[in-house]
Amino acid sequence: MSESGPVLVLRDAAFRHPGGAGVAGLRLSVAPGEAVAVIGPNGAGKSTLLRGILGLVPLVGGSMRVGGSEHAPDGMVGFLPQSSDLDPDFPISLEQVVMQGRYRRLGLLRWPGRRDREVVRRALETVGLADRARLRFGELSGGQRQRGMLARALASEPVLLLLDEPFNGLDQANRDALIETIRTLKRRGVAIVVSTHDLELARQVCDTVLLLNGGQVGCGPVDDVLTLENVQECFEGVGVEIDEHTVVVPGHEGH
Amino acid sequence: MSLGDVLFGAFALPFMGRALLVLLVLSIVAGIVGVLVNLRGLEFISDGLTHAVFPGLAIGLAVGGSAGLVPGAAIAALIGAVLLTLFVRAGVTSDAAVAVVLTATFSVGVIVVSRSDDYAGELEALLFGRVLTIAPEDVAPLVVVSLAAAVAVGATLKQQVFRAFDPHGSRAAGDRGLALDLVLNASIALVVVAGASTVGTLLVLALLIVPGASARLATVHLWRLFPIAAAVGAVSAWLGLAVGFGASVGAGIDLPAGSTVVAVFVVVYALMLGYRLVRDRMPRSPAAPAASRPRARAGAAGER
Repeated sequence: MSESGPVLVLRDAAFRHPGGAGVAGLRLSVAPGEAVAVIGPNGAGKSTLLRGILGLVPLVGGSMRVGGSEHAPDGMVGFLPQSSDLDPDFPISLEQVVMQGRYRRLGLLRWPGRRDREVVRRALETVGLADRARLRFGELSGGQRQRGMLARALASEPVLLLLDEPFNGLDQANRDALIETIRTLKRRGVAIVVSTHDLELARQVCDTVLLLNGGQVGCGPVDDVLTLENVQECFEGVGVEIDEHTVVVPGHEGH
Repeated sequence: MSLGDVLFGAFALPFMGRALLVLLVLSIVAGIVGVLVNLRGLEFISDGLTHAVFPGLAIGLAVGGSAGLVPGAAIAALIGAVLLTLFVRAGVTSDAAVAVVLTATFSVGVIVVSRSDDYAGELEALLFGRVLTIAPEDVAPLVVVSLAAAVAVGATLKQQVFRAFDPHGSRAAGDRGLALDLVLNASIALVVVAGASTVGTLLVLALLIVPGASARLATVHLWRLFPIAAAVGAVSAWLGLAVGFGASVGAGIDLPAGSTVVAVFVVVYALMLGYRLVRDRMPRSPAAPAASRPRARAGAAGER
């Protein structure tokens, strides 16, 4: 992979769950240090797209290249799932959760060494939780857990980071911390694909927007694509969050 | 007879030495596997496997005598492990799947045993074990079966814990859930096989469940769970054999060895529970700031 080459290229790609929903017609190229917001209403296929890039949903049409190859090399893609319902009583500390991000690189038999611990420490510093490393994961607040999961994704030292609705349910402080982390990662050259229905976030940290509703509605620089017409087409008659106010975009037939 | 004789001297007798060796290896391995059973909440599946092993033991005994016990049990357990893994994966609720496997296999086992001449004697041996009458040639197979479970779990330990904590995250990181489940369930099955021939199919569950549950009471530190569970298993097995020996030789009370061992396991669990309840009631040291004292708050369950 050349330094300047795109990290992710989708050419008319289609992902489909076996016997289930899918997304099609995806055309996207993401460069190192570029952030792409995937925007669309619930059920538009945002998660399907991210899980497709990760290899969890089969590619059923077109082509995908991650880091210049058909299959993403181990540990190259980091993933922050939607805030998951993890057992708060599970006996595991924050740093042990973050260390799970190293497991892919370690394989089955090798145990974490000094370099792995160093990577984990830096990942925790990046998300601002270095002083909480030894706390039990279940004792952290929801926002801190989310940042901890982000640190786990960073510990795999990804060149491409996928964030699935990372801002859902975050308070302002954790939201600001997460935005700052995303900016830091972009400066380090990490490519980021973030799914959200938060248009404001897209304007704040993303360079490119991909509008999604079962297929690709539009894709390009934020200011060109986030137009009223495009957003209307994408969110026909559904609520949109702008600055924490929900606005209902009327469908075409509503005029 | 002195206490030293009961705790140490008794094991100079060959049959007691064999019982100790097999039970120590088995309890340590069962403790380690049992931590994963606890973290994954697989107690009921383990129960299903203990019953699935029963027809294997019965058929093994019918075909090859006592030398057929371990192979018969191993085959039945591995088939049971694969079936249960696939059932659960296919979306059959695991409780229903386990209940079907459990009752079906147990009835097959009883039918097979009922064909033999010494129905009552053999049934009792299969259900309650024969820890004091382990033949010298049976020691090696039982140790090998236990160690195989330890190797399988040890090789996948990081990934097993990852999957227990966050199955979706583990899958997203490239782990294969089905493979990990098969390895874990097969390991449980192997422990059940070794346990069925020593403490019996009904009591082996205690060796799997109690040390892991005790370790959860003792610590919230992930990687301390495994040595603690192993230690609980080893000490309980040793004390259990010693108590049974002391009671029958010293006091003339004839206690069944397998049941005595399991009773000691449960007593150790009760002690751990008492320790945990007392510790949770103790006021937190006022000098320590809350953020640096995670252990003191670990007892309170749930979200804050």
